[in-house]
Amino acid sequence: MVNNKGKSSGDPITRWLVIGMVALVVVVGAGISVFNNTSKKTAVLPSAASIKDGYGIVFNSDLKPVIDIWEDFQCPSCKAFEGTNGDALRALAVEKKAKIVFHPLSFLGPESVYAANGAACAADQGKFLEYHAFMYKNQPAENSGAWSNQGVIATAAAAGVTGAEFEACVNKGKYADWVGNVGSEGSKQNINSTPTVFINGKEVDRASGAYYSAPEFMKLLVAAGIK
Amino acid sequence: MKLPAFLTETRLSWVGLVVRLTLGGVIFVAGALKVTTPYKAAAAMRAYELLPISVANIFGYALPWFEIGLGALLILGVATRLSAFFAGSLMFIFILAIASAWVRGLSIDCGCFGGGGQVAPGETKYLQEILRDFGLTLLAVYLCWQPQTKWALERASR
Repeated sequence: MVNNKGKSSGDPITRWLVIGMVALVVVVGAGISVFNNTSKKTAVLPSAASIKDGYGIVFNSDLKPVIDIWEDFQCPSCKAFEGTNGDALRALAVEKKAKIVFHPLSFLGPESVYAANGAACAADQGKFLEYHAFMYKNQPAENSGAWSNQGVIATAAAAGVTGAEFEACVNKGKYADWVGNVGSEGSKQNINSTPTVFINGKEVDRASGAYYSAPEFMKLLVAAGIK
Repeated sequence: MKLPAFLTETRLSWVGLVVRLTLGGVIFVAGALKVTTPYKAAAAMRAYELLPISVANIFGYALPWFEIGLGALLILGVATRLSAFFAGSLMFIFILAIASAWVRGLSIDCGCFGGGGQVAPGETKYLQEILRDFGLTLLAVYLCWQPQTKWALERASR
């Protein structure tokens, strides 16, 4: 019953039909995945974003030192980093003491994309920092469904980011392609984990403890010329 | 090859079913878990520092789909021997990659089921990862040897 000894008993039509279908799914899926994750020149950019800064949202573009922050709104370590050093970074941005570039990645899937798109929408309202702090403070479990567009709008509203323009921007995913561009820039620059912070182009050493120790982080900032 | 009498073809084909579904299931799930987070998959691939960044990115984006397809063929039981050959080769490559990361003193997660990238030096699981992939390689070898399994969509040739 199992087979005819030594003779091929395959059903060639089923075989090739199934192989063909599976191959099609693989090729199309992989193709879309590669295409989606390649920078799109047509992407609409938020006004604070700068292509030469890896599509990041820039504060104080003319200042030194330069602090680059690659992060993901859904990543718990990024929440910890924000909790430790967020206030200091916000102060540097507001008091114009450093150039800060935020790169919201979408490592953790679709809800990171919604949150990052929302960040760009908030930046257009001049409320990026408020949004940034509040989203981390209220970070839900990863891809739990909390950060749909509706959820992003509700969370942002509690942070004081409101308005029809903001809501429309979130709802239509106005900056979804930009989020993709930030992501592919991260891939190009070999950002393998979040958060990854660069001070004047030099990656903050993960072993130094500076990510989760405010005094250690401040030491690095002072060494980079922050008074 | 002369088999012991109790290993009848029917019994072997039941063993083959379990092997096929285990191997196919693991590979399918591994692909499915990564396919929604392409940036992370690409980052996991780059973290091995074996390929140029641009190549690693493309592999990272494409590999989950390849795993889904390969897993699906094994689960369905179509082109079992060929699929098992690819699965075994893939596992063998994974073992080499993980071993090379270990030898070079990198501290990364294999990123086999999502995740991946740098981890703290004490948190690597290279041995477990290699043993698991070695076990999966054995399953693939078994299917190459005995591709005839129960409940396969296609009856394999021997």
